[in-house]
Amino acid sequence: MADFNVSSRIDGDVNLIDVKGYLDAHTAPDLENEFNKLIERKRFKVVVNFSELNYISSAGLGVFMAYVETMREQSGDIKFSNLKDDVYSIFDLLGFPVLYEFYKEEKEAIQKFR
Amino acid sequence: MKSLISKILDGNKKNKLEKFLFSIVILVLFKIFFPLINATILVLINEILIFSSLSLAFLYFVEITSTKSDNPISLTLNIGVLSAVLFFIISLSSAIFDTIENIEDVNGVIYTFSSVIITQLFILFAVYILSSFQTFYSMRQKRDKENYFNYLLIAILLSSFSGTISGIYPELQFVEKTFFFIAIVLVVFNSFRVSWIAFLTKKQKIVILLTSIIVSTLFGLNFAMFFENNIIEQIVSNFSPGVRVSYRLIMLYGNIYFGIIFFTTLFHLPTAGAFDQKSEEITSLIDLSKLMTQVLDFKELADSLTDATNKVCNSDSAWLVTIENNERSLVSVNNIGYLEAQNISDELLSEFNGQLTDIISMNKKLIKIKLKGDVRTYVFQAIIVAPLKVHGKTNGYLFAAKRQKYKFEQDEKKAVGAFADYAAIALENAKLFKESVEKERMENELEVARNIQSRILPSENPKNDRLEVDALFVPAFEVGGDYYDYFQLGNNKLGFVIADVSGKGVVASYVMAEVKGIFESLSRVIHNPKKLLIETNDILKRSLSKNSFVTALYGIIDIENGKLNFARAGHMPLLICSEGKIKEYLPKGIGLGLDFGTIFSSNIDNMEIELNNNDILMLYTDGVTESRNSANEEFGFDRLIHVFESNYNDELSNITRSIFEEVSIFSKEEQQHDDITLVLFKWKNLKKSLEKLNG
Repeated sequence: MADFNVSSRIDGDVNLIDVKGYLDAHTAPDLENEFNKLIERKRFKVVVNFSELNYISSAGLGVFMAYVETMREQSGDIKFSNLKDDVYSIFDLLGFPVLYEFYKEEKEAIQKFR
Repeated sequence: MKSLISKILDGNKKNKLEKFLFSIVILVLFKIFFPLINATILVLINEILIFSSLSLAFLYFVEITSTKSDNPISLTLNIGVLSAVLFFIISLSSAIFDTIENIEDVNGVIYTFSSVIITQLFILFAVYILSSFQTFYSMRQKRDKENYFNYLLIAILLSSFSGTISGIYPELQFVEKTFFFIAIVLVVFNSFRVSWIAFLTKKQKIVILLTSIIVSTLFGLNFAMFFENNIIEQIVSNFSPGVRVSYRLIMLYGNIYFGIIFFTTLFHLPTAGAFDQKSEEITSLIDLSKLMTQVLDFKELADSLTDATNKVCNSDSAWLVTIENNERSLVSVNNIGYLEAQNISDELLSEFNGQLTDIISMNKKLIKIKLKGDVRTYVFQAIIVAPLKVHGKTNGYLFAAKRQKYKFEQDEKKAVGAFADYAAIALENAKLFKESVEKERMENELEVARNIQSRILPSENPKNDRLEVDALFVPAFEVGGDYYDYFQLGNNKLGFVIADVSGKGVVASYVMAEVKGIFESLSRVIHNPKKLLIETNDILKRSLSKNSFVTALYGIIDIENGKLNFARAGHMPLLICSEGKIKEYLPKGIGLGLDFGTIFSSNIDNMEIELNNNDILMLYTDGVTESRNSANEEFGFDRLIHVFESNYNDELSNITRSIFEEVSIFSKEEQQHDDITLVLFKWKNLKKSLEKLNG
């Protein structure tokens, strides 16, 4: 189906993950890999930038649920930023904003870690 | 000749043996009646009888010897033993007995019997040898040149007859001599049919070399002895002069043929090793191609490949490395340690940065490797690295290394390349096979999932005067985990639920089954939708995996008075169409499984709505709104509302159908990748209707 791309950046002790395209059951493993790498390197502060993500399925949402606990236990977190309206509405409908922090801008999210 | 023989002597092996034995019985009877032959007519009858039994014997023996046509050594040994026995009998008997002075004086049953037995023995041995020659003759011949051998048989026959006749008419001796000469020429000519020697292995050639010189000498002696005057020669000549001639010709044939075999083998011997290797290579390739079609386990094939590489290319060690998802793994090692092979290949391949696209060979290679702390040095005289390529992609490497011996020859290098090609194809085949098995497994799984799902969903909608219900469920190819259900709660209350399990396939369908169980039981005891969902979340804590969740909407309708009470856990909103106007109801509530503590229970609310006459409730899953068209656009909420609005006056079943039709038309070019579920309720206020009627 549609393409998905994940890449990683570093800003001090915060890791930025850029997700692009369509995140579904078939592409979710790519994102899981990215999280596994971070845990291996003991980096637990994560901001996921959604600026170029067009769609997220339930399997995609599951990825964050699977890793957030580990991050929080290690005094880190997964925060979301730059979501498009329709992507945000998927998170919103499910009630993610109650459990996760969402920011308009990546900078705000990074700032929250400091 | 062929047709003549086949006419007289058609039949199977057993049949031939019977005919042959019968001819001997007649011959013996004849000899008993006429121990000494003087009359010409009797001589002729004698000869005809002898030669027909001889021909019959020949045909019978050819059947036996031709079964050994692929084993020249055993055939040679057989012939050798027979000619040795003949030699032994002649020399022993001439040492014990003198020649009989006057053959006409000898008479009586004893002489007759012993002469018949001795002659028959000689005839049978000679004929057996002759039939073996025919088998030798036709061995490894590509073209059918049997004629020359048949000419020889005719020449032998003719010289034998003329031999008999010249005994009676001495002036005709030149005829016998001529035929004898022709027979010898043909013997020499046919003796050059020795191409089968080339196909023997070196070992077999040595055996043939030694035996052939002995056998040739024996035949020579046997031939020579029949020129001397000895008792056996005398008996045989007396029995039949023709037999004597043909016996001598067969012995001569043996002498010449094995002599030629000896020299040919001698000349073949220096190249025997190379020939062995070539044929080994061919056999290995044949074996491998057989393996390729039969063996689906790549490991097994890889073992045969490294083994064949060592055998064919004279290398000391061979090993095979495959690359999958950029990871190298050592699949097979032959005559080298696993760790060593792994380290050496890493070392070698790092030199090429994994950019090795063509076969290379290196000479005098020194490789230093750290093994368990200490550094070891490997000295290779030569190493070949051949990439395994399929469709221009390298999916592994075949290594062959020589430690002591010389460098690789060009053809050895080519052979390694050929083996690498085999390995590449086999690897690809194994991969494709695995994929197809995987695909089949997945399809079976999906079948199971679809089965579970179809059992879980209600088979029919509840029927009631005041509450019309209609539902539509369209499963995706990969089961999506949609679930809806109704629960009759007392006489005038109906519970309903719509849920969507995250993920797909079997896992989703099992969670779905569990969710159904939970709702079935809880709906009977808890009549508060919010509390019911909190309890459900609590129960799911034990079974839901970290990365999965369930969205649900649970509600209860009081059919009597149209009171609706519901709660939502992360699910799509409830839509109510009242007099053509659609309203979206979205009480707060997070998905089941997102949190198992107070966050869930403190973030969920009940919502109460009083329904009006003919209000339509719509429940749906995201499969409806997230259906996509070829431009990757979603069907979306707005389109759903629009179709709903423009059809609200229609029958309930028509509304669901219209929505599904619109969704299908919209996404007709795309595969449906999630379940589509729609549940509609239409509440009728009977009181109002009655009032209307009465009013």
